[in-house]
Amino acid sequence: MPPDGQTPRGASKPSENVTSLGMASTDEELVARSMGGDHDSFNQLVLRWERPIYALAYRVIGREDDARDVCQETFLRAFRALGGFKGQAKFSSWLYRITLNLCRDWIRRQRRQPIAQAPEGIDLLDLATETTPSESIEDLVARRELSHAVQRAMAALPDEQRTAIILKEYHGLTFQEIADLLDCPLSTVKTRLYQGLTVLRRQLAGAGMGSDSMTGRS
Amino acid sequence: MKCDREQLISYLYDDVSADERAAFDRHLRDCADCREELAALRGLRSTLSAWTPPQPALAFEIVDTRAPARTLTETRTVTPMRPARTASWRAWWTPAAGLAAAAVLVLAAASAIAHVELRYGADGFSVRTGWNGSPATTTAAALVAPAAAPDQTKKLEAAYADVERRIRDLETATHNAALPSPVRPVSQITPARGSDAEVLARVRDLLSQSESRQQRELALRIAQVVRDMDAQRTADLSRIQQGLGRIDAMTTADAAAHRELANYVISSTRQQK
Repeated sequence: MPPDGQTPRGASKPSENVTSLGMASTDEELVARSMGGDHDSFNQLVLRWERPIYALAYRVIGREDDARDVCQETFLRAFRALGGFKGQAKFSSWLYRITLNLCRDWIRRQRRQPIAQAPEGIDLLDLATETTPSESIEDLVARRELSHAVQRAMAALPDEQRTAIILKEYHGLTFQEIADLLDCPLSTVKTRLYQGLTVLRRQLAGAGMGSDSMTGRS
Repeated sequence: MKCDREQLISYLYDDVSADERAAFDRHLRDCADCREELAALRGLRSTLSAWTPPQPALAFEIVDTRAPARTLTETRTVTPMRPARTASWRAWWTPAAGLAAAAVLVLAAASAIAHVELRYGADGFSVRTGWNGSPATTTAAALVAPAAAPDQTKKLEAAYADVERRIRDLETATHNAALPSPVRPVSQITPARGSDAEVLARVRDLLSQSESRQQRELALRIAQVVRDMDAQRTADLSRIQQGLGRIDAMTTADAAAHRELANYVISSTRQQK
């Protein structure tokens, strides 16, 4: 069962599946049943983790359709390799590792800028579906512009810094989990994170999207 | 405590032990730079939260394509189900209803036409309705006439010749009866009555043959009408499709214009503010 704090940002909290007794099965329980041939249990895992995995793939490679393909391929590979999952790591960490490997392959194969440029225009009619009763259309437009600015700034980061920030900021992994995933020392993770955040802070401030403007707006 | 960026990052994400937290709290009280940087990074985290990924319909599902053992061969994406039942029912019903209606109309017209006979022959133009005919006779003719047509023609020619001869005999007999001579040979009249029955039989044969021919022509006409209606239906559907395409294009263009206008209004409003 993934902790709630694992997905603090990006609305990628995994879905929970509740048994007939009202108790949600843990990932480990579902994995065990899946290894016994219960496809429904594996599909529960898919349902629980497809959003976070898709969000991770999207933030790393920046393309919706390709992120969708990576997400699907992640679960396909996980299903095929389920017999080799020994449980030393969390199931979610195992999925993240598969996803990051697929993203790395995708980036290497595409040989292009990993994160796509944000669209120039803002379609208000599309945005209207995202607005809340307490949010004006101006705030909505500002939020979308800010989102695109962050996306562009993240695209400019080196891969290792961007990955560290994504895993920490948007998926809430611990430093140790990130270090294990990226096969690097703990201190390296923190350094990459700090350097990446510093660059982002500078770029967003240069684009007029710094935290001060956000604070003033809200 | 010396400024430690790693400690700052750990403190920022609350990924520290209680002792480390207490130590860094003490450091923050004495270090304005770290306080300022910590505040800036917290603001940056707030900004980063604005980047949200799309929310597509995923619903991935592992399916077993009934391979032996538990080998996965494919995945599929479950998309919202369309009202397939309604759509397929309509798709089936529309052409069927059209064809059925066309068939009913054709049969109704054919049944009405079948009771009217238009003839133009050696004896001139004539109109006859089938309502006065005998159904049994008509049916028998429809079944027999096609096979007996060549022989019937010769028989009819002979019958006509016989009828003409009899008529001439009758005219002669009538003419003779009108003469002053009171003698009327009975032998000249009796055979004539027997020939009338034969003539009526011949006439029935003739009518039966005519009706059979009409039925064949009617069948051909019905087939032609069905073909014409089908072609017309196809052409109508094509025109409707073209019309829908034009309407769709116009609707899309209007929507795009409205979107541009809305974006322009919002942009103008924001600039004014």
